[in-house]
Amino acid sequence: MDEIAYSVNPVVVGLVGGLVGALYFAFLRWQTQVGSLNASLLVGAVCGVAGAMLLTAPLGYCMFGADQKNDDLIVGWIMVALGLLLTLNLGSMLLWRFFRGQRLLPRGDTTPGAFRGRFGALYAAAVLSPTILVLVYFVYLPMFDTLRLSTFLARFGAPRTRFICVSNFSRMLSDLDYHSNLFLSFALSFGIIIITMSLALLIAAMLNQPIKGANIYRTFLIWPYAISPIVAGSIFGLLLGTESGIVNRVLDLVFGVKVPWLVTIPAAQISVVLASVWNVIGFNILFYTAGLQTIPKDLLESASIDGASAWQRFARITFPLLSPFTFFLIVTNTIYAFFDTFGLIFVLTRGGPTESTFTAMYRVYVTGILASDIGKSTAQSLILFLIVVGITIFQFRVGQRRVQYGNY
Amino acid sequence: MTESASSRFVFDPSANQSRPLWRRLIPQRWYAHLILTISVIIITFPMFYALLISTQSNPEVYNHKFTPGSMFFENLRTVMVQRNMGRFMLNSFVIAISIAVGKTIMSVLAGLGLVYFRYPGKWIVFGFVLITLIMPGDVLLIALYRRVVSFDGWPHPYVALTLPLLASATGVFIFRQHFMTMPPDLSEAAQLDGASPLQFLFRVLIPLSWNTIGALMVIMFLFGWNQFLWPLILLRDQHLQVVQWGMQSLSQNLEVGDNFGPMMMGVIITSLPPMIIFLILQRQFMKGFALTRDK
Amino acid sequence: MLRKMALALLLLFIAVGAVMPALAQETIELEAWVAFSDHRYDWAVDTAERFNALYDNINVNMVSVVDYDTIVNNYTLGREDGNYPEIVQLFDAALQFAVDTGWFSFAEEIIAGRDEVLGQAVDFDDIIPVISNYYTVDGVWASVAWNTSTPIMYYNVDMLQAAGIEELPTTWADILDACVALQPMVDDGTISACASWPFSGWFIEQWLAQQNEYMVNNENGRAARATEFNLDTDAYRAIAQFYRDMYSNGYFIFEGQDQWGPTTQNFISGKVAIHMSSSAAARAISEGAAETGFALDTTGMVYNDDAPSGWVGNILGGATMWISNGLSPEAEEAAMAFLLFFSNTENSASWHTASGYVPVRNSSIDLLRNLEPGNEILWDIPSGARVDIEADDWYAAFPNFLTASTQLGNSTVNNATRGSTYGTFQQSRPYYNGLVEEYMLNGGDLDAMIAETNATLTELLQEYNFLFADE
Repeated sequence: MDEIAYSVNPVVVGLVGGLVGALYFAFLRWQTQVGSLNASLLVGAVCGVAGAMLLTAPLGYCMFGADQKNDDLIVGWIMVALGLLLTLNLGSMLLWRFFRGQRLLPRGDTTPGAFRGRFGALYAAAVLSPTILVLVYFVYLPMFDTLRLSTFLARFGAPRTRFICVSNFSRMLSDLDYHSNLFLSFALSFGIIIITMSLALLIAAMLNQPIKGANIYRTFLIWPYAISPIVAGSIFGLLLGTESGIVNRVLDLVFGVKVPWLVTIPAAQISVVLASVWNVIGFNILFYTAGLQTIPKDLLESASIDGASAWQRFARITFPLLSPFTFFLIVTNTIYAFFDTFGLIFVLTRGGPTESTFTAMYRVYVTGILASDIGKSTAQSLILFLIVVGITIFQFRVGQRRVQYGNY
Repeated sequence: MTESASSRFVFDPSANQSRPLWRRLIPQRWYAHLILTISVIIITFPMFYALLISTQSNPEVYNHKFTPGSMFFENLRTVMVQRNMGRFMLNSFVIAISIAVGKTIMSVLAGLGLVYFRYPGKWIVFGFVLITLIMPGDVLLIALYRRVVSFDGWPHPYVALTLPLLASATGVFIFRQHFMTMPPDLSEAAQLDGASPLQFLFRVLIPLSWNTIGALMVIMFLFGWNQFLWPLILLRDQHLQVVQWGMQSLSQNLEVGDNFGPMMMGVIITSLPPMIIFLILQRQFMKGFALTRDK
Repeated sequence: MLRKMALALLLLFIAVGAVMPALAQETIELEAWVAFSDHRYDWAVDTAERFNALYDNINVNMVSVVDYDTIVNNYTLGREDGNYPEIVQLFDAALQFAVDTGWFSFAEEIIAGRDEVLGQAVDFDDIIPVISNYYTVDGVWASVAWNTSTPIMYYNVDMLQAAGIEELPTTWADILDACVALQPMVDDGTISACASWPFSGWFIEQWLAQQNEYMVNNENGRAARATEFNLDTDAYRAIAQFYRDMYSNGYFIFEGQDQWGPTTQNFISGKVAIHMSSSAAARAISEGAAETGFALDTTGMVYNDDAPSGWVGNILGGATMWISNGLSPEAEEAAMAFLLFFSNTENSASWHTASGYVPVRNSSIDLLRNLEPGNEILWDIPSGARVDIEADDWYAAFPNFLTASTQLGNSTVNNATRGSTYGTFQQSRPYYNGLVEEYMLNGGDLDAMIAETNATLTELLQEYNFLFADE
């Protein structure tokens, strides 16, 4: 083996991982009081070493090289932590299934009504294969092709690339602009989701009343959903210009005020949120109206006879029963807010004023597609991807607890 | 409408017997009409403003004329004849319908595979599909392009365009949840009759799923209709281009200033086909569909 | 059943599209990608058809690719799989990229000293020097100029006169004086502010050139490959300060970065008296002013009279036509002949009347001054059709169209006014524009801001050089 100078020796990294794994499994053993302590320690150590190596070894531990900066080291340890998170969770799950005498892999869930027969799995594979094949070839493989670039200095059309280890990531660690981009993505997404969903629920509840003309109202209300985000940006640009926009024109005529919608700090962010809400609220209204139809009328009637007020019926029956829809909409709105609003921002504010509407995905777009700096942009999009995966897993966890799976 | 009549009797607080005269004069559920009217006004205002601009010339837009302008037919001609929007709309319609139908078929099949069979690691398969929902597709386009052009036996560019888009995490999710709400007796009975899973799918599941299929078709059609960056990169023959490409060319303002009228005319015209699809399928959609009921 | 499904899927796809018939042809097929898709594209198609009519064996096919960035991206991808056009329109910011990739044959090398190519005359000397010099790489004329523009000032003369201003402003100081004079009209609500124009990085580049300053080192990347950014200059500081003075006194309406539409609207609807925009907008703005009913006049882009150099000149903006390398000799000849035809005296003049872009040849300006009756070169912009205008001097009918040509014609050609060339042009623009924006809106420590941005941009530039430069 070549002698490479490391600031942290890979052996140390592996040992740290093994130690963490052994300790964590010992803790689990103590907590559950199931299985043998020695086996826990041993498997924990193995999982720990594997976790420490999982993401760092494929890059040849380059982030622990002596020539790397401090931030690269930190990124290295974060990768160790991510690897540990994966292997320790997976390993402990399997080991404790073993301890409890269960099958290592659950023998399919016990879906009632599943088809019996020996070729069930094959049949399932056959009907799933179109989707799986398309995803593998046209989503996962391009994804890996792209992610490979995140450890490179790479530009579109350049005759060569340069391996730069985790510099694209460690750069983000110290880049305050990027931190504010990320924070902004969270803040704007939160605003978009809360406003969209509460308004959509209110409107859907009204549409669900037995009133005349509900069809007409509904058709008008989902009209903006037929507009793509970039075109929505063009329309709002015409509405919200400080001097040129029709909104300020009206405000000026009626109240004598002009709001600098797109060029002052809270106003520009509010404008982006409002334009996004406008764009996506039709979709939410659509799903909530569909959801309200599934709520059994007799349940509400009996509650009404028991003397529950309209608000109580909503809070105790309707809203809990809508939770699958709420959950689905939270997930899709999160994805819209994080990934799909960049076109709207590009047209409306260019991320301004002074980068106050510069979201993380907008940065990915500007860096990767407009400036062809694809190494950096794929690293940024990978981070964004991990964050949204994290949010979604969190939402699923909370969802599992909160979503009502009633039996009516 | 007996059902709604009975629920009106039960639910409306204003339906109590001793109503004063003034309350009887106010339409029933006036608050719903009020809230909906306000919502419609606010939400459709940008669209109606776009409609107004689509009749105007640039100077009329510049000077904030609130009355319909003089250029309606001129702008319509610019969009449909000069900029060939009809052709692009036809192209997009073909693409969007293909995508919607293809996605629905594949999602139904995948939903079947995820619900009606027992095999280990089912949640891994589901997770494998679901996680693609989060992948930022626009970032992958260049890599996707390279994959797609590395095969040169595509019978038509549209096959290369639509095939990569046919897998749908949303569709699989929705059908999986929908099939889970089906009573297990259905498939038990089908198995007793000796039906194969696909026979069960076509004879039992699909007839019970038209609402979900209709709802999904609306969403998927719009997904196909709004495709822009992918066709922009892939299609080299501009006569094959799509409606969002046409929109982009209408809003093009490299240095010389916008053409607001044609642009907003384009906005209005291109928003109509998805609305028509919705109107056709809205009965399905509004009958509602269940999203989930586990085990 | 499964097979039926698969078959149904397959049939669906076949139904989706008929297979395009491949036509066998003897002629030389040339494809040209352009970034336009509106009336400017119509003009290009018309011109290509007129060219095709001249030659039995050449067929030029114009393809519209929506915008400048997409052209660069699609061309780069096309280079990987062999699916790229013979002729492509690249914007000014892609100059260094075009040179570094080595994907193009330079026009002057194809011509190789001849007077004509396939009957199309070559005449370098006729081209306005500051234009031909922009696209001269290492002393070789690289691409054929097509759409060229430059920023000019647009004034609402009625308002200026009402405020007692007789001379049109030509310098920054004049603008500030005019704004002081116009302030009473702002205060009494007649107008909203003194000035409004798009906040664009292009103007910053122009103002640097006017002050004889470089954007990047090695004389704007013209003497040797640029390696460092050069923002730490008095010229750049002066620009930031000018914007700050304009904005903090309430003279300037800021509508956001690169908002061309809203700012044009502010001017045409009579909300401001002073506007700056591309010369290519002259027709649209003239028509708008006529409709609104005010007298319009134009001058060259205002300059910093405090700069030691005074006004040196302006850079052109726009795009040029490049010929892909590796073509067959016949195809290369045909492409060159087409571009010579495309930019000859008549077509350059015709293009000017169709689009508002500057004619690249002096002879085109002469032609437009002395029109023959019954000529076929004039275009009507909004309808995109050829028209007869009853004038023998086109500039008498449209005097504001001459302002841009005069500005470029009077420009001294040096490495400041030739414009900067470096690989990260597109990527850097938002940075040096954003810095000025930040200072204009919030003030702050300009030196520190410049030092930070300069370092960031230099690093990006060096990364680019590492990947592209020969070593």
